Amino acid sequence: MGKMIYAILSNTNSDKLNALLFGMKGISGENLITVTFNEISAVVSHIKREELIADQASAIAFAGIIENIGQHFTLLPMRYGSMLESAELIQKMLEKNYSEFQQNLQKVENQSEFGLKVFCDSEKLKDEMRLKSETDDNPSVKSDEGIKKSVYLDYMNKKLKEHHLEEKLLNYIDVVIAEFTEKLTQLNAVSKIKKRCTATILIDAVFLLKKEKKDELVQVVKDSQNKHPELNYTLTGPWPPYNFVDINLK
Amino acid sequence: MDNNVIDQSKDITILELLDRVLTKGVIITGDVVISVADIDLVYLGVKLMLSSVETMEQLKAGKAIKEI
Repeated sequence: MGKMIYAILSNTNSDKLNALLFGMKGISGENLITVTFNEISAVVSHIKREELIADQASAIAFAGIIENIGQHFTLLPMRYGSMLESAELIQKMLEKNYSEFQQNLQKVENQSEFGLKVFCDSEKLKDEMRLKSETDDNPSVKSDEGIKKSVYLDYMNKKLKEHHLEEKLLNYIDVVIAEFTEKLTQLNAVSKIKKRCTATILIDAVFLLKKEKKDELVQVVKDSQNKHPELNYTLTGPWPPYNFVDINLK
Repeated sequence: MDNNVIDQSKDITILELLDRVLTKGVIITGDVVISVADIDLVYLGVKLMLSSVETMEQLKAGKAIKEI
């Protein structure tokens, strides 16, 4: 028998928390209960070793439980598969990391996470850029006395043009990011942004901002999408703050 | 152009959800932790889902480029 941990939250309103958890089941069908240390609680459920199956359905059920609780409480979501042997060990873990939990809970208080992925076929976009810049004076290696026109020269020019186009694409991505981050700063949003993640995902960003600012975020993203119809924006959320809890408990 | 940027598609929502719950959030490591086998395999499935979502979005974006 072990304990699956779903989330860590502040237990200042334990009546409300217990009322919410009453009747809620964990991923193996056992009741959800709390393990508490001072003002911090972990929401857990009993689970037998033979029930420890990793599959998509269990992971989705696990996330669903966190989502439900997160609609009523500020919480720190646990990664799927976080389990300890007993309630005593969980209590010790809460005690040992108490101040870190408190700090992180304060950081995400009444905030939601949103995810933004900006898709585009970068090769097609670069083709468009190439066509548009045909009149530009693209850099190339000139043939001179030392370097005769050769396969080597053609290769160098091809690579130089590819590099130039990649640079243009990255500049373009930077411009798009700068446009919306400027507006998001006004909403006091915290952002984590990765660019050029794959050939198709140009921007992969997560934002943390006050729950009541959701509509303003949507408007910022809509405005950016309208300005760049060649890109395909996908905004998801609100999510519990998975990307904004940097805690690795030992 | 569709103005609804909040994505309602099931694939992307599940993908985003699984990516978060399997690779983000508070993590406990150490000898006292009971490990769940095969979580890596579930995440491998998520990566495969990402490929199909990317292909789908690539097609949409490709269409948009042709239109401009």
